[in-house]
Amino acid sequence: MIEFRNVEKIYSNGVKALSSASFKIENGEFVFVVGESGAGKSTILKLLLKEIDPTSGDIIVAGQNLRDMEERDIPYYRRGLGVVFQDFRLLSDRDVYDNVAFAMEIVEAPRKEIRRRVPMVLAMVGLSSKAKCYPNELSGGEQQRVSMARALVNRPSILIADEPSGNLDPATADGIMEIVEMANRRGTTVIMATHAKDIVDTMAKRVITLKNGVIVRDEEKGGYFNED
Amino acid sequence: MKIRTWHSFFKQGIKSAFGNKTMSVASIVAITAALCVLGVVMLVVLNLNYLMDDLESKSEVTVFLEKDVELSDIKGIEAKIKNWDGVNEVEFVSKSSALESWKEDLDDKAYLLDGYEGAENPLPHSFVIGIEKPEYTEDIASKAETLPQVMKVNYSKEVAESLGKVVHTVRLIGFVIVLILAVIAAIIIHNTVRLTVYSRRREIKIMKYIGATDWYIRWPFIIEGFTIGMTGSLIAIVIIMPLYKYVLNKLAGQHLEEGFFVNIFKLLPLGDVVNTILLVFILVGVSVGVIGSVMSIRKHLKV
Ligand SMILES: Nc1ncnc2c1ncn2[C@@H]1O[C@H](COP(=O)(O)OP(=O)(O)OP(=O)(O)O)[C@@H](O)[C@H]1O
Ligand SMILES: [Mg+2]
Repeated sequence: MIEFRNVEKIYSNGVKALSSASFKIENGEFVFVVGESGAGKSTILKLLLKEIDPTSGDIIVAGQNLRDMEERDIPYYRRGLGVVFQDFRLLSDRDVYDNVAFAMEIVEAPRKEIRRRVPMVLAMVGLSSKAKCYPNELSGGEQQRVSMARALVNRPSILIADEPSGNLDPATADGIMEIVEMANRRGTTVIMATHAKDIVDTMAKRVITLKNGVIVRDEEKGGYFNED
Repeated sequence: MKIRTWHSFFKQGIKSAFGNKTMSVASIVAITAALCVLGVVMLVVLNLNYLMDDLESKSEVTVFLEKDVELSDIKGIEAKIKNWDGVNEVEFVSKSSALESWKEDLDDKAYLLDGYEGAENPLPHSFVIGIEKPEYTEDIASKAETLPQVMKVNYSKEVAESLGKVVHTVRLIGFVIVLILAVIAAIIIHNTVRLTVYSRRREIKIMKYIGATDWYIRWPFIIEGFTIGMTGSLIAIVIIMPLYKYVLNKLAGQHLEEGFFVNIFKLLPLGDVVNTILLVFILVGVSVGVIGSVMSIRKHLKV
């Protein structure tokens, strides 16, 4: 279970990106985080990854308060999360295959398992033919899918996806959403920040809507909220 | 960690140690140069120590006894001297053996001393005191002067004392030079590895976000520093050893020409210094490399 308790984030330059955000996400839930650009979606996801720390308030994941987490335990906490970054964050000196395999290498997965799982997830995101390409040889949408493959390869218990369909055509985006739903059906908790109105509307999942760093709506089977 | 993981750490570390050609060459040259100077300083200090030991074993005080001293008194004085701090050994030289060695010194003019044997011998009995360290010489000499039945005390003050001081100073200066050089080399390696770290700072962050431990990220950089340090030390060994051998051979040639030189200026043979130099070079080179790289990663791991 994930819980935000009155979480506030003020960046060092004084920008208040999140104010007293409180919500709970149960294991196995699928939650969209929506809101216009700059609303604070990525901030919530970065807080979850412990890439940044809240200015005040508590974040509790699986019974552990992230504030009290020891420095040396952070890597192990992060291994339980699969993260698709808004800016992809691929290792530029490794090809697609090695980028995905890297997530398994750091947990020292058996070599056999790596050789089985990596081609499988690459096939899932439709990138089998690009396994030997380096990130700078890929389109934005392709890099995004590598990021998705890396996030899923270790079967994380929580999938955090920041705009995973942002650079994709509708057909490919649907394909990616299918993969995410499949992971969710197997029990992975999914938290996804997105602008994709049609996806949010058709999937009818829980939707948390942010506006200027404030949660203005939190609805089961919600839709993409438009002011007009 | 698994062997496979170590294997990939070494592959990465060694690859980046030689990856950036100019920087790698610069830091290997830096460490080689530093170690070469260190080697010269070490060889000078080692040889001075050797010379000191040699002199120390030779520093002695001669105590001449009164003419009328009794045999029983001699035994008593000898026992007293043996008890003093800093005394290695006490050798009694009777007046007849003193006369003998004087005769030997005079060689073909030994006849001059004919007729002074036995009761006519003008020489006194004496003790030759072997001293542990030259610093003790003066102390022991003045103590000897206060003994009863002592006529005169002789010792070679200047050589022993001043050499002791010189050696102390050289050791100290050598130590300081070596320390400064080690620090400079560490800073240079630190800079090289910092360049690698800097060019890979984005990768390091990503690795951390995916869940890599600090050590997982650190090891390749440590191995990079290790590789640079090791390469630098090996090159320095290959330079310094033949150089010392050359100096030894050169001096050996001189010894043959100027026979007296042999006794004053004797260098340690290569075999005696090889192990020390090897050990120190590799130890210093490697630790300087590793310390340099550990320092350069620290900052970037905090994400
Ligand atoms: N590192 C930072 N330092 C300072 N301000 C920041 C930083 N990151 C984000 N912000 C600010 O915080 C606010 C929220 O940013 P955030 O990235 O969470 O928005 P977002 O909802 O993800 O937007 P988008 O849909 O464009 O990705 C913005 O006003 C942004 O300018
Ligand atoms: Mg964002």
